[in-house]
Amino acid sequence: MIRTKNLVFDYKKFDDEGNVIGTRRAIDEVNIDIEPGQFIAILGHNGSGKSTLAKHMNAILSPTEGTMWVDGKNTSREENIWNVRQTAGMVFQNPDNQIIGTIVEEDVGFGPENLGVSTEEIWQRVEESLSAVGMIEYRHHSPNKLSGGQKQRVAIAGVVAMRPKCIVLDEPTAMLDPNGRREVLRTVEELRKKEKVTVILITHYMEEVVGADRVIVMDKGHVVLEGTAREVFSQVELLKEYRLDVPQVTLLAYELRKKGYPIPKGILTTEELLSALSECKNTDIKTQVLGSEAKKSLSNVGQPLLKVDHINYIYSPGNAFEKHALKDISLDIYEGEFIGIIGHTGSGKSTLIQHLNGLIKATDGDIYYKGENIYREKYNLRELRNNVGLVFQYPEHQLFETDVLTDVCFGPKNQGLSQEECKERAIEALKLVGLPEKYYEVSPFDLSGGQKRRVAIAGVLAMKPKVLVLDEPTAGLDPKGRDEILEQIAYLQKEGNLTVVLVSHSMEDIAKYVDRIVVMNKGSKMYDDEPKKVFAHYEELEKVGLAAPQVTYMMHELAKKGFPVDTEATTIAEAVETISKVLKK
Amino acid sequence: MIRDITIGQYYPSNSRLHRLDPRVKIVCTLIYLVSLFLFQSIGGYIIATLFLASVIRISKVPFKFIVKGLKAVVMLLVITVLFNLFLTKTGTVLFSLWIFKVTDEGLRTAVFMTIRLIYLILGSSLMTFTTTPNALTDGIEKLLWPLRKIKFPVHEIAMMMSIALRFIPILLEETDKIMKAQLARGADLESGNIIQKAKAMIPILVPLFVSAFRRANDLAMAMEARCYRGGEGRTKMKPLVYERKDYIAYAITVLYVVFAVVIDRVV
Repeated sequence: MIRTKNLVFDYKKFDDEGNVIGTRRAIDEVNIDIEPGQFIAILGHNGSGKSTLAKHMNAILSPTEGTMWVDGKNTSREENIWNVRQTAGMVFQNPDNQIIGTIVEEDVGFGPENLGVSTEEIWQRVEESLSAVGMIEYRHHSPNKLSGGQKQRVAIAGVVAMRPKCIVLDEPTAMLDPNGRREVLRTVEELRKKEKVTVILITHYMEEVVGADRVIVMDKGHVVLEGTAREVFSQVELLKEYRLDVPQVTLLAYELRKKGYPIPKGILTTEELLSALSECKNTDIKTQVLGSEAKKSLSNVGQPLLKVDHINYIYSPGNAFEKHALKDISLDIYEGEFIGIIGHTGSGKSTLIQHLNGLIKATDGDIYYKGENIYREKYNLRELRNNVGLVFQYPEHQLFETDVLTDVCFGPKNQGLSQEECKERAIEALKLVGLPEKYYEVSPFDLSGGQKRRVAIAGVLAMKPKVLVLDEPTAGLDPKGRDEILEQIAYLQKEGNLTVVLVSHSMEDIAKYVDRIVVMNKGSKMYDDEPKKVFAHYEELEKVGLAAPQVTYMMHELAKKGFPVDTEATTIAEAVETISKVLKK
Repeated sequence: MIRDITIGQYYPSNSRLHRLDPRVKIVCTLIYLVSLFLFQSIGGYIIATLFLASVIRISKVPFKFIVKGLKAVVMLLVITVLFNLFLTKTGTVLFSLWIFKVTDEGLRTAVFMTIRLIYLILGSSLMTFTTTPNALTDGIEKLLWPLRKIKFPVHEIAMMMSIALRFIPILLEETDKIMKAQLARGADLESGNIIQKAKAMIPILVPLFVSAFRRANDLAMAMEARCYRGGEGRTKMKPLVYERKDYIAYAITVLYVVFAVVIDRVV
């Protein structure tokens, strides 16, 4: 279906006159061969060349050297371009930027229109493809009113309507919440079964590739690893070197193996883990059970740093768009705490955090910072914003200065500090987020995605806030990038005595780092407790579109199958500990 | 705030007006707008009112929703009224205020001008309420099609318009987000003189431009990936074909104009 021979691609940098002043090799001698009907997953960290490779499959880019054939057609040949684009349809990462039509059905019809398909057939194809992705009832809707997952399904329908033999999905789930992600993957899975199309899925989420026929791992433009999911995920250490990760079960099995238990490599399901564990039961291994690092228990006394007191918030009151976004929320945030906020999209969590620094004013109710009501007349809101730093989602989109250092100085400058002080603060903040000094004078737009995000976070840290609120700081980053950012934040919280409020969709991250979880559902606070206690309600969480960490599910499954582990374990470390205990007995 | 502006929005429904060919709606709206300037007496306006009211009725768009569109132009209306009221010198003086004199002629033009403007806005927003942006651009494309002969890029302009319409809400949302993010970094957007205010816009405008370019780049790629190559050889999912009801609509509009002008002259 898709074959490459010694494929090379260089990105060229041009000066103002259009002369090439530099090249960067994005793909280097890649040879792949994809059979029709297969499900291929391509993994790789940000900037590993996987998206560049995908763009070749659709003839958006054409090789610098070497050749690529799609369905037997050379993609470098001008006369094949349209044929190739129809054969290998492409779905991109950003749901907003690939929908052309202002109405769902018109967007799906865009591809067939371009192909010159007759009007009756366009209608037929639009209907078929929208049904195939389960979006037929939304055909008359405006894309702007759909959720991210729904938009991606529309984008997939738009590709399906062109009757491709192969669909290339370039990180289709990177910008979605867990529900949207599931929706999209289920759709892809169904298409594969029903329409027998070849699927090439590029992703950062390891769980998504378990079902693939073949996994290709890329690093620095090379294919570095290729094989079945099991073969690839057996190489935990190697994958980590490539800034990747493995599914949680595999990681748990790996950690246990590292402790000396004879567990085979490449475990992909809980069943496999269970049968491997039953084998272990009889062997006697001398490992000491480490006391887990006890998390701080909730013993908050005294005055909370931030107190949210029965607030309500109503969007556009009195007109057709009226929405009760927050309903009677009360929340105490104590100094030095690490709080996680979870909730499905539209549950009110973003609205809530924007109240914390006074960007949105509650319809009623009060908020106190250090005991002072921030809605009091003449309260200095700018001063509050210095103390409560808010990092929005995709904060790198707010960078604007000509170099990194000046951009980070923006906050301190607004605080009225002198130039030297600003610079001092900026350098300190940049050191805190771990950005190497050589980038200080570089334009922020020339940095990689992960680096930009660090700069943006530094921009808020430079204001020396007491509370740092982050809205999904890891969205769109590769596994290593995600870990690095979170580790940095956890470090700041511990060493810098910073109070942190983290909004995240990843239950694994929440379980690993926070002391307390606030669960939001439809504008109300559903739970507010320690992670273990909140995740014990995993069935209720599922009902509102959330979930517990995968470890919790694994533990419950193991316990159900007669392996008496502690089902309260929410992190890999805790799971390893309880399993070791059981095995010792 | 931005959400409250209803001018230019589409109101989804399935009324007879919604189902008309966009070309009919564009041409008839233009005819209607021109007709408003033909009237000299109250008679024409009465017919225009009746016509507008029945069309609104047929459209099934709630009257409240339509009127909301006027809010945005209240200032403009007030200014027009004042200008007409105080600056018309002809006619008999009704009363005078300091150096201004209000004449009966002035009062008359002020009233008529206000009615004209309100009807102008109501009429044209009714068109956008009942026509999807895409249908509207399709209609304009088809109406301007003959201009292609003089090398006017009709298809390209229509495509640009429809993309612009799709991205306006997205960019508005983005602007809001960037403003909040910079406020969170202590930006001061309100105080200071004009120059300081303009300077304060830089942290908002630069990211907005960068984002717009990024989106444009992505969109162009997505369009190419879906085999877009200009207007040549393209078919239409919803081709515009006149039907009986469209001819009827034309006929009704023409009849309205003739009738209204006759009444206007008789009364």
